[in-house]
Amino acid sequence: MNINVPRCGSLQFMARDLCDRLGLGYVETPEYSERTVEIGVTLAPELVCFPMKVLIGSAVEALESGADTLVMVAGYGPCRFNYFAEIQKRILEREGYRFRLLTFDSPRDTPREFYNNLRALLPESRTGLVGMLRQVALALRKGRALDEIEKRAMALRALEAEEGAVDQAAAESREALSAAISKAEIEEAGVLARRLFGRVALDDERPHLRVGVVGEMLVSMEPYFNFDILNWLARRDAAVERSLYTSDIFTPGGHPVLGFDDRMIESAASPYVCHEIGGHGHVNVAATADYARRGFDAVVHFFPFTCLPEVIAKTVFVRIAGEFEMPILSISIDEQTGRAGMQTRLEALVDLAWSNRERKLARGAHARAAAGA
Amino acid sequence: MKVGIPRAMLFHHYGEYWLNFLETLGVEAVVSEATTPDIITSGAVHADNETCLPVKVFSGHIIWLKERVDVVLVPRVVSEQYGTLACPKFMGLPDLARALDPDLPPVLAPRIHLADRRYLWAREWYSVARALGGTRLASASAVAGLLYGLEKHRVQARARPAAEGMTVGVAGHLYNVHDSRASLGLLDRVKSMGANPVTVDQVVPSRARMQAETLSRRIFWGYESRLAGAVLHWSRTRSVAGILYVTSFACGPGSIVGALLEDQLGREGSVPLMTITLDEHAAEAGLITRLEAFIDMLRRARRSSPGGLSVGGAQGVRS
Repeated sequence: MNINVPRCGSLQFMARDLCDRLGLGYVETPEYSERTVEIGVTLAPELVCFPMKVLIGSAVEALESGADTLVMVAGYGPCRFNYFAEIQKRILEREGYRFRLLTFDSPRDTPREFYNNLRALLPESRTGLVGMLRQVALALRKGRALDEIEKRAMALRALEAEEGAVDQAAAESREALSAAISKAEIEEAGVLARRLFGRVALDDERPHLRVGVVGEMLVSMEPYFNFDILNWLARRDAAVERSLYTSDIFTPGGHPVLGFDDRMIESAASPYVCHEIGGHGHVNVAATADYARRGFDAVVHFFPFTCLPEVIAKTVFVRIAGEFEMPILSISIDEQTGRAGMQTRLEALVDLAWSNRERKLARGAHARAAAGA
Repeated sequence: MKVGIPRAMLFHHYGEYWLNFLETLGVEAVVSEATTPDIITSGAVHADNETCLPVKVFSGHIIWLKERVDVVLVPRVVSEQYGTLACPKFMGLPDLARALDPDLPPVLAPRIHLADRRYLWAREWYSVARALGGTRLASASAVAGLLYGLEKHRVQARARPAAEGMTVGVAGHLYNVHDSRASLGLLDRVKSMGANPVTVDQVVPSRARMQAETLSRRIFWGYESRLAGAVLHWSRTRSVAGILYVTSFACGPGSIVGALLEDQLGREGSVPLMTITLDEHAAEAGLITRLEAFIDMLRRARRSSPGGLSVGGAQGVRS
């Protein structure tokens, strides 16, 4: 059995780790490339959203490189992605590929199917069902530790005194983490990572922007689709926070994104969006409103062309941007998106954020002077 | 006080019940005029450019209401059937309306969540009724009337006038199909070409549901599930000569269900299916040509084989 899981944030890392733990074969998904998109656009229905096209292309590439079992997630939420696994199966079958597709729904919606899917993996794995669940929990914990490293690196990269120090700390932590197997070892790797990042020399005086990155999962997390926005912003002196992480999404008990649970998402997103709108639209609005309240300088919003939840979020962002005087740049990504145009727009956003900040500072100084007089 | 209701989106499903609700309360209701080209244009200008045609039409209606009413009623439809959900756009519709224009009158957004059989959402309608100045009794009876109407709507099909000749199934959202401006008069055009159009709301819901359950994965959008069920019913009973699948550009559920139906019907063999995609760049000439070609093809096939045309390939005609 050669399992393959799509590439999305730390999902690849977690899946490979889990398959190693269970003794299952794993086929690495090839890096996203122009070819992936091309295959996807040819096979997928014309009007489905961009991540689906990419995932079809990526599934074809994985099947070509030897995978025979594709694992997908789905659900019964309102976002169309939840129905996509079924369409993908039909398309790949029509194209004559031979494979097995395991679609994992949330165990809360369809516990029986979830159990059957796990049972399908059991015969080939080294463990029993209970052992398997324990390994899943460990793999998730490891994924969370990896995302933790990413978060730290993103926050500090713009402030490092010596260029490359943060990247080095991140690489060392990652290396220590990927060797970890037991719970104690994972915790230890986490402690080591904290120590390594603590040792990075920072230039506290350097003026820097604070920028939030929000958006749909695939395009906001995968550097190939968002022009490696995290590093790009860090090179322009911006400390970055992102709303979505793979390990947060798969953690049971709501979405503890940015440390919130469902109720905190609701209160952060109101009055802009007062109801769950599918996908991660609600979370992104909550995160953006939170960034705005915390005085961030700008937010970059990535979403696939015509994405249902994110288009609602985008409409609402106009309101948030107006109320808080915080520029929000919404970038719609699809197979036609050109890189040069994007660069220009992002640069304009950074310039705008700087001039905004200077204006606010000047206004503050003016107000202070007036109060003094 | 004047309460405005945009004649768009789910007004075409539930409008009469909303109007009854307001009437029981004795509040004056203002429904925006039937969609005009100006409304579509103003909607396309105000709404986000990546929203679907019906949302743009909806935005146009909201802008039309802006100066004319004191408060706008945009119910938040979360689900239309047991075990399903609505399209994300319906769930976010009031928020979308509020973000459209800062000078908009207040938007009332009570929920409709028919999957929640405990009817906790009915309380929101009660508070809206009280806020609009209804007495306790009037409010309670207005809410009861609304619930009764919605339940009736859920299980009953719209009456279908008896007609001779070839029938063509028109599978599309009611707010596209019944809006003669947004759909460029699709139903009338089909009629004038000598065929009888049947819409999804004329198929008995229980029958559609039974057919939809034969799909390998349950469709979780309420209306789309009914639409897919109706299409399968038409195709499997051969009760129509052909099917027009009408969707709007950037419609999320439509893109998925369209792909699913094309594949499913292609596998099992069906009557011809043509996909028509609507957007605000209304191009009547192109639509007429395609409709004429499709209906001519159906008519010819009927003449040569009385049982009608059956297509085994992936799809009949695509546009």
